[in-house]
Amino acid sequence: MVTKSINSLELRTNQKWFIWIPLIPLIIFSIGFQIIPVVSLISSSLTGKQGITLVNYQRAFTPFILDAFRNSIQLSITTASLGVVLGTIVAFAIISSSKKFVQDALIALADVTTNFGGAPLAFAFIVTLGSTGIITLVLKSIGIFLYPNFRIYSITGLALAYLYFQLPLMIMLILPSLLGLKKEWWEAAINLGANNFKYWRYVALPILVPSLLSSFFILFANSFGAYATAWTLTGPDVNIVTVQIASLIRGEVQLEIGLADALAVVSLCIVLLCVGGYLWLAGRARRSRV
Amino acid sequence: MRMNLFWRSIILILFLAFMIIPVIATLIFSISTRWDRTLLPEGLTLEWWGKVTTRGAFRLTLRNSFFISLATALALGVLVTPAAYWAHFRNPKSKVIFEIMSALSFGIPGVILALSLIRFYSGIPLPLINTPNILLFACMELSFPFMYRPVANALDSIDVRTLTEASQSLGGSWFQTLLRVILPNITPGVLSGFLLVFSTVFAEFTLTNLLVGARFKTFPIYLVEFTRFDGRQASALAVISFVVAWVVSLLIIWITGRRALPAGGRVAGR
Repeated sequence: MVTKSINSLELRTNQKWFIWIPLIPLIIFSIGFQIIPVVSLISSSLTGKQGITLVNYQRAFTPFILDAFRNSIQLSITTASLGVVLGTIVAFAIISSSKKFVQDALIALADVTTNFGGAPLAFAFIVTLGSTGIITLVLKSIGIFLYPNFRIYSITGLALAYLYFQLPLMIMLILPSLLGLKKEWWEAAINLGANNFKYWRYVALPILVPSLLSSFFILFANSFGAYATAWTLTGPDVNIVTVQIASLIRGEVQLEIGLADALAVVSLCIVLLCVGGYLWLAGRARRSRV
Repeated sequence: MRMNLFWRSIILILFLAFMIIPVIATLIFSISTRWDRTLLPEGLTLEWWGKVTTRGAFRLTLRNSFFISLATALALGVLVTPAAYWAHFRNPKSKVIFEIMSALSFGIPGVILALSLIRFYSGIPLPLINTPNILLFACMELSFPFMYRPVANALDSIDVRTLTEASQSLGGSWFQTLLRVILPNITPGVLSGFLLVFSTVFAEFTLTNLLVGARFKTFPIYLVEFTRFDGRQASALAVISFVVAWVVSLLIIWITGRRALPAGGRVAGR
């Protein structure tokens, strides 16, 4: 029966509108669970007692919340920049390796760990670098006392834990571009009298810039939206945006609906801008490679 | 050019240490009698593993996680695969819908997705809010690109038009073509999408915590509860999570013959 009806519809595929019918379930899903909820969030954030207003935005940004945004942005910039720089260096070291199996194993490791995060990761860092963690104990035995100057439960500790997923993600993002650097370009540069530094400064880096920048955006968004790792590692102690929004949802802090929505909308804009920047730059990088 | 051996070795060893020590430390911690005063564990034991795995809540949360991961992966497979096939075969323009959905899925952080779903659906009389149903849809939204990417890559790598036309000229319907001709040809893509979604949802904490709370406890929720009061049992649970993530990722690498998946879309339960 189903087969038959599809067959008869098949005959009408010349009509333009028909080609959209099989996509209807998907479009309904997107509207129902992506677009409408977000639009209603935005409209609720703009609604006050007297209709459309920006008053929620003015009132939501108390010094405490501003501090949360400052922390989140700082954390994201730090872990994204470190991720980009260190990830590129490690990726370059990986592809410099002459042994195929070393390359494959390390790429597999990066691939697998990109998927890590959240609660188990946070807990692994407590075991490793907590006040009685293994690395803490090892360092203590050779006379280096991490505590009390460093705390894994602080924003610095959080940055270190974030690096655990930012680093492999960067490696996976930048590998294709690094592999695209041709050996001939280096040979040509050297033949023309450049040294390695000049090759990087004037040949390789300018080629890599779009990929590096677009990866930075992805890593920034990745860190800005992260919640599970922060919540498990530091609980409510570290004041970042996602932790604040989550505590508003759970009702731990009483706040008018419109204010919570205003925070969420501002964060959403920040992350979506990053994703937009990524897509734009990644598109450019892809075109220039072709 | 290449990096010289000295620097290369140092960098790779540091990288390996950073990535592996936390996992190994957690594993050893979970089988140590005590390991917070001395350089080496004071003794080895399986007590914590025994304790934590014999609890009823352990089996319940593991089952819940397994169930929601499986349900999400199946539902997404059914939603995405036929639509993606159609887009590749008949309506290439519509691929932009998939791209926008993927970008939104990555671009809407978990906490904001949870907040916006609660805001909208609590005012609507559907059996969604405060039930595992809403979690299923939220998890589908979260892991959409993990299903779409591998399936789209697989569809790109075969000649969809020729296969479909061959099948249709032999009298096959659109549905038969999808099931008997296209699906067998894109099995690795569908399978790795399925596994990616499964492992993402298995590790999901944020949406579960904020949307269903204690009503539907999953494995990561159980793990976080333990980190607050018994570190050693929590470490056994963390090891289990790591093993699930590793096994699934290795399976994917094995199925797709190494890295058919672009990174960037792959961000799990942060």
